[in-house]
Amino acid sequence: MRFTDGVRWIVTALGTGRSRSILTVVGIAIGIAAVALLTAIGEGVRSYVMTEFSQFGTRIIGVSPGKNVTGGIGGILSSVRPLTVDDADALRRIPAVETVIPVVQGVGELEFEGRHRNVKVMGVNADMPAAWNFRVAQGRFLPEVQAGAASSPYVVLGHTAHQELFGDRSALGRKVRLGGRAFRVIGVIEPKGDMLGFDLDDIAYIPADLALQLFNRESLMEIDLTFAAGADMVKLQADIRRRLIDRHGREDFTVTTQDQMLNSLDSILSVLTLAVALLGSISLLVGSVGIVTTLTTSVQERRGEIGLLHALGAPRQQILILFLGESVALSLCGGGIGILILLACKGVALVFYPAFPLTPQPLYIALALLLSVGIGLLAGATPAYRASILNPVDALRSE
Amino acid sequence: MVLASGLRPDSESRPDSESRSAPVVRLSQLNRYFQLGDQTVKALDGVDLVIETGDYLSVMGPSGSGKSTLLNVLGLLDRPTSGDYFLNGRLTTGLSESELAHHRQIAIGFVFQSYHLIPRLSARGNMELPLVLAGWSPAQRRQRVDEMLDRLQLSARADHLPRQLSGGQRQRVAIGRAVMLKPSILLADEPTGNLDTHSGAEVVRILEELNQEGITLVVVTHDQALGARAARQLRMVDGRIVMDQRVDSGAT
Amino acid sequence: MRFPDALAFALQVIRRQRFRTAMVMLALIIGVSAVNLLTGLGEGARRYVVGEFSSLGKNTLIVLPGKTETKGGMPPLVGEAPRDLTLGDGLALLRIPGMQSVAPLIIGMAELSSGGRVRDSLILGSTSEFFRIRQLKVKLGKALPDQDWDLAAPVAVIGTQLKKELFGTSSALGKWVRADQRRFRVIGILESKGVALGHNLDEVMLIPIASAQTLFNQAGLFRIFADVMHERQIPAVRQRMLEVVKARHDGVEDITVITQDSVLAGFNRILRLLTVAVGGIAAISLGVAGVLIMNIMLISVSQRTSEIGLLKALGATQSTIRNLFLGEALLLALLGAFAGTVISELLLALGRLSFESMPLQTPLWARLASVSLALGTAVIFAWIPSVRASRLAPVEALGSGQGV
Repeated sequence: MRFTDGVRWIVTALGTGRSRSILTVVGIAIGIAAVALLTAIGEGVRSYVMTEFSQFGTRIIGVSPGKNVTGGIGGILSSVRPLTVDDADALRRIPAVETVIPVVQGVGELEFEGRHRNVKVMGVNADMPAAWNFRVAQGRFLPEVQAGAASSPYVVLGHTAHQELFGDRSALGRKVRLGGRAFRVIGVIEPKGDMLGFDLDDIAYIPADLALQLFNRESLMEIDLTFAAGADMVKLQADIRRRLIDRHGREDFTVTTQDQMLNSLDSILSVLTLAVALLGSISLLVGSVGIVTTLTTSVQERRGEIGLLHALGAPRQQILILFLGESVALSLCGGGIGILILLACKGVALVFYPAFPLTPQPLYIALALLLSVGIGLLAGATPAYRASILNPVDALRSE
Repeated sequence: MVLASGLRPDSESRPDSESRSAPVVRLSQLNRYFQLGDQTVKALDGVDLVIETGDYLSVMGPSGSGKSTLLNVLGLLDRPTSGDYFLNGRLTTGLSESELAHHRQIAIGFVFQSYHLIPRLSARGNMELPLVLAGWSPAQRRQRVDEMLDRLQLSARADHLPRQLSGGQRQRVAIGRAVMLKPSILLADEPTGNLDTHSGAEVVRILEELNQEGITLVVVTHDQALGARAARQLRMVDGRIVMDQRVDSGAT
Repeated sequence: MRFPDALAFALQVIRRQRFRTAMVMLALIIGVSAVNLLTGLGEGARRYVVGEFSSLGKNTLIVLPGKTETKGGMPPLVGEAPRDLTLGDGLALLRIPGMQSVAPLIIGMAELSSGGRVRDSLILGSTSEFFRIRQLKVKLGKALPDQDWDLAAPVAVIGTQLKKELFGTSSALGKWVRADQRRFRVIGILESKGVALGHNLDEVMLIPIASAQTLFNQAGLFRIFADVMHERQIPAVRQRMLEVVKARHDGVEDITVITQDSVLAGFNRILRLLTVAVGGIAAISLGVAGVLIMNIMLISVSQRTSEIGLLKALGATQSTIRNLFLGEALLLALLGAFAGTVISELLLALGRLSFESMPLQTPLWARLASVSLALGTAVIFAWIPSVRASRLAPVEALGSGQGV
């Protein structure tokens, strides 16, 4: 039998029980749409989160004090072996390292002419805007300081902090009080927005050494390094380790690359996407029960036709393929409609809620179609096999 | 989807010359038993039969005498329990399922009492089904089917669905389908059973015409009048052939 | 038609169409049990987390240094503030009426060594009250001594995992552990409690608060835990705490006081939402099952046209026939929903046996929702086929069933 004849056969067969075929297709379409939508949302969330985290740049290596499984929060805790601003300066001399930022983080109350504002306080240095892709809207950022020299009491305000304290007035050159000490405002950062519910604009930036004094700490919470594109990561990490071990006498710190962090985040989110896809495929499972039912009924009703095919000398595998073809056609139609539903949702989202994280990807769409073909084959297998082994004598008699 | 079946219009595999000389059908000590509960029903009981090329046989007998079983076995739809069946000189017992299917395709044509037309296909669609299954191209099919429609005076009805055709027309479509690939033997099971006298006569005329062109014809029937038309008349009772009578060809 | 007769009629049809019955049941079972299982898992996770947090005690307040006004309401769980929380603050809190007990906390990291074995570990500096508030039990030896907060006694209580890593199988009580330049004598070993509030308490060393201050050279506290005598006093005491510390911090309100409820409520809301979402996604499959029911009823109607014609010829009204078909679908749905519920309950019971700490249980709303969804979809999707059956003209219906 020719391919086109096979297709025509299948189409006319399905067209005969039209309402039945349509309902079966609807079942599969709902299932595929559920899976496709959920993966698209999962993918959307994943790429949203990844973009959020990559906005600080991707060529970042973090060094935090302490070596322990406690992971991320190590830097916040007190430690008997601190990371210092001098450590940061030492790392700056490693080739391929472009910027080094000592980081101390805390909260404090800013005061200006009787107005108060509790803000986050970041102790950093002059490298920060370049390293984290921040732009200064007014004035300038913290100045470079000679290694070992004390910084001047300057502060750079985030957009929100500036608004709250100064409103529309210029803040440049004004003195604000923070933790009982006077700081001169020398710049305002451009609005940066929220990151995962964390307001990046309600922040005051001061020199790291002053932040250590302010918070009465010995240790930095983290040292962030950025490095030149194309640098050898392995060598770079080894250099950082060696340099710090030379200074500390042992490895009492943890080096994490942004890549590693992004990768683990990425894999977590991918697993989540897979999990919601599995949830959606429950519907697909029910949809394939629908195919099994329709096709089995169809085989029962068309026993005479199957007998005739036998009598006309159609080999068993041909009958098998014809019925499998009906099953695959149903599920493929369902898959196509499911994807149309997905695209329609995307369209609606684009018009009414553009920020909604819905990212249909060609790869996933192709996979969804492949999945529907697979479901067709699986669901069709039993009924089609039963059609192919039907005893022709019984089948012909049944009419 | 394209299943190789050696049958292509350009290379029609007719039985080769040496088997051509052999009888179309030779049955020797053929048995077909059915198990009904703890009882064994002998539907065919030691049947010996030779059908020569061009024979016109009728098989008659009461219900349950084994006529239909004989027809099914002859048509390779059913396998004998024991005994040998040579089709065109070739032993068919022991052939695989797909080999049997291939023989049904090239050597055997069926005509059923209830026509067995596919309701969703037009007269043309039903008729060309064997060619479709054999993988003929649409152009080749069209030519062959047009000839057949013309010959069966169905050209005007080519695009009608079975339910839009009369009983006689339906059976003519079924006959056209059965002989589309020029089988060596045509098996007809009560071909006029569902038809009025006039349409029945028309169907019989066509079948006999085909027989005169060389197709071996076996008709199973209850109808005495129809059975009496055959040149060779078999009578079956309880799975045995109790009468095998050649009648002068002058009977027509 | 009387109800029992109608029921018998439907049952007989269902029995006759065994395959289709099985398929509809299968679809409904998958749908109903998916909803029940997934919401059961979600509910289990929620209860587990709530249970974990409840180990803190209902009457516990947590004081954090610093305060932010950023939207989003996330408390400054991490970070530093210019003005330290001090032991003096803690003692002042203790004097508030209605306050039961107060435990200051410093957390730090240090390298511990004992007999050649070395390990970096989390160190908690606190007081004997900390054991009570966090419901820590000592497996061997005793807890931190009940003494003045300023006394830097060189004693330590260690977690079971840390004990294993530093001392192996030999006894640890009375042995010395070195941390930085100081030595601590092990006086107790904690009962294993697993991970709680993100800290694995099996891997920590607890020392007196004053010892921690000297070890880390730091006066400021990381947290203060405060237990109130009665739950109803929480709002008043909380207000008083803010005032007391404000007075001590030169009139600046620079602390955050969170109650367990506020933390818990957030988690509760998130997990409940998650449970509903997961259940909702699973419920889509019930919609698909509904489509299948519609399909099967349509097939059933088309195959039983002559039966319908006969019923009409015998005087059955349209509504009788519609109700017969609707009843058939409803009965199928009922059977499927029942089987699905039973299966999910069995699986969850099995889950509870394997994971004793997880209180896996389908919430009542989910059980009711899954069953009523199954029945609802059955009625909705069977409606069109049933109406179609009831409207068949008797002659046409009787006339069908003849072969082509």
